[in-house]
Amino acid sequence: MEGILFPRGVAEGIEGLDAYRSRGGYDALGRLKELSPQDVIAKVEASGLRGRGGAGFPAGRKLALTLECPETPHYVVMNGGEDEPGSKKDRVLMENVPHLLLEGIILAAYAVRAEKAYLYINHGYEAATGAVETAMREAREAGYWGEDVAGSGFALELVTVAAPSNYVAGEDTAALEVIEGKDPLPRQKPPFPVTEGLFGKPSLVNNVETLANIAPIVARGPEWFRSFGTGDSPGTMIFSLGDEMERPGVYELPLGTPLRYLVEECGGGLKDGKRIKAILPGGPSSGFLLPDSLDLPLDHDSLREAGSSIGCGVVKLLTEDDSVVDEVARIADFFAAESCGQCPACRMETNMLAALIKKVQQGEGSDALTEQFGKVIAFNKGKGFCSLINMPGPPIESAVRLFPEEFRTAAAL
Amino acid sequence: MKRFCLVCQNVDCKSRGSEELMKELQERVAAKGLEDVEVRSYMCFGACQEGPNMVVYPDKCWYAGVKKEDVDDVVAHLAGGPHVDRLDKIDPSLKELIYQLLDTGVF
Repeated sequence: MEGILFPRGVAEGIEGLDAYRSRGGYDALGRLKELSPQDVIAKVEASGLRGRGGAGFPAGRKLALTLECPETPHYVVMNGGEDEPGSKKDRVLMENVPHLLLEGIILAAYAVRAEKAYLYINHGYEAATGAVETAMREAREAGYWGEDVAGSGFALELVTVAAPSNYVAGEDTAALEVIEGKDPLPRQKPPFPVTEGLFGKPSLVNNVETLANIAPIVARGPEWFRSFGTGDSPGTMIFSLGDEMERPGVYELPLGTPLRYLVEECGGGLKDGKRIKAILPGGPSSGFLLPDSLDLPLDHDSLREAGSSIGCGVVKLLTEDDSVVDEVARIADFFAAESCGQCPACRMETNMLAALIKKVQQGEGSDALTEQFGKVIAFNKGKGFCSLINMPGPPIESAVRLFPEEFRTAAAL
Repeated sequence: MKRFCLVCQNVDCKSRGSEELMKELQERVAAKGLEDVEVRSYMCFGACQEGPNMVVYPDKCWYAGVKKEDVDDVVAHLAGGPHVDRLDKIDPSLKELIYQLLDTGVF
């Protein structure tokens, strides 16, 4: 299937400068002299691209908000922290199509009048860092960034920064802290990075995949981009499938593709022909779905209406042999361990939820105990600097709702 | 029946002196020979701005903002004396949430 990011929808090895150029790569930068920053933003706005880091914020709007800020300088940050368990898409993009990504970063920097872009990359991603740095050298020699970007007179510096691999280090303001040489702790918002970001200056912080979409949008136009996906979720998205599948890996699919296509046609179903018990369609902070949801379209609104979320496209399946309670316990322990500890309510909530689910696992549960999950979640909702405090809620509350028997069985063991 | 004096040891309460408070309470309870009372730590009661927080359970009595000079009265209560009204200032809805958690055995 044709893709926007990968020509055939799947990664096919490292694409060098010549190969990228042969599919129209850097054509958009070649036309920079004819394009104002506002023109670039108008194309991204018209494309309807939504951020691919999990929140789905309109990408064009974010560009416009950053450009509008009078304070200078402006910065761009590519967020390649990718700490979401099971997510591989950013790594695969950096490793395989680094020039596509660089062109997007350069166009975004031009659009917001940034003088410097930081490429924040998970420090465990050695191959990805190497591929990006090689591409940076090639692009610099070709005149695509530096003192005079593609003869447009616009100057841009690019630099890579190693990202710590703990979960909150991938939060956008924590990334800014790291780039400033500090510990990876999220900042209180507002102010948002668009007005007060890196070194207190207006900053565009975008996920790797979001930036990778910019060059194709500018080169081939918003209408072409909108020929993929749905009205509210245009374009494609890269989905990550894990080792429970026959064919794990990353697959680029138009948004709105039925979940069944990803699971059966791309992933080949569960290993050993096992039956699906439950689906987490958007990573550990999304709500569980039942197998009867397989015909849901994979897009932001459809999944939200179904009580879950698309997140950053990490689709995990539980098999008939898996315990939902054990999976929820892993999720609760993960968030308790990854809470940075800055916000009291987050510490209380994540530790309390982990303690509650442990009780269920140990057979000390009860209906009264099960009821406490929702109460603890509701009490702490929104009381943190970042969204981690809201993350354990959807998987835990959906698990309790969809698998009450399992909670009772686990409690009775 | 065994009674617990649960003293929050999360970061905020600790920064307000809950570690020393717990130690002091343990020593005083031992010195007084209150064998049915166990003073122990608790992960968090969610009232971080009001700390140090402690809950006497199953009495369901919550003392907030407990200082060194309050220890005499708290120990007196643990020994069967009167409830320390001035330290009882937590919102009833939060009390209800935490008491339910304690009732379900989350210690």
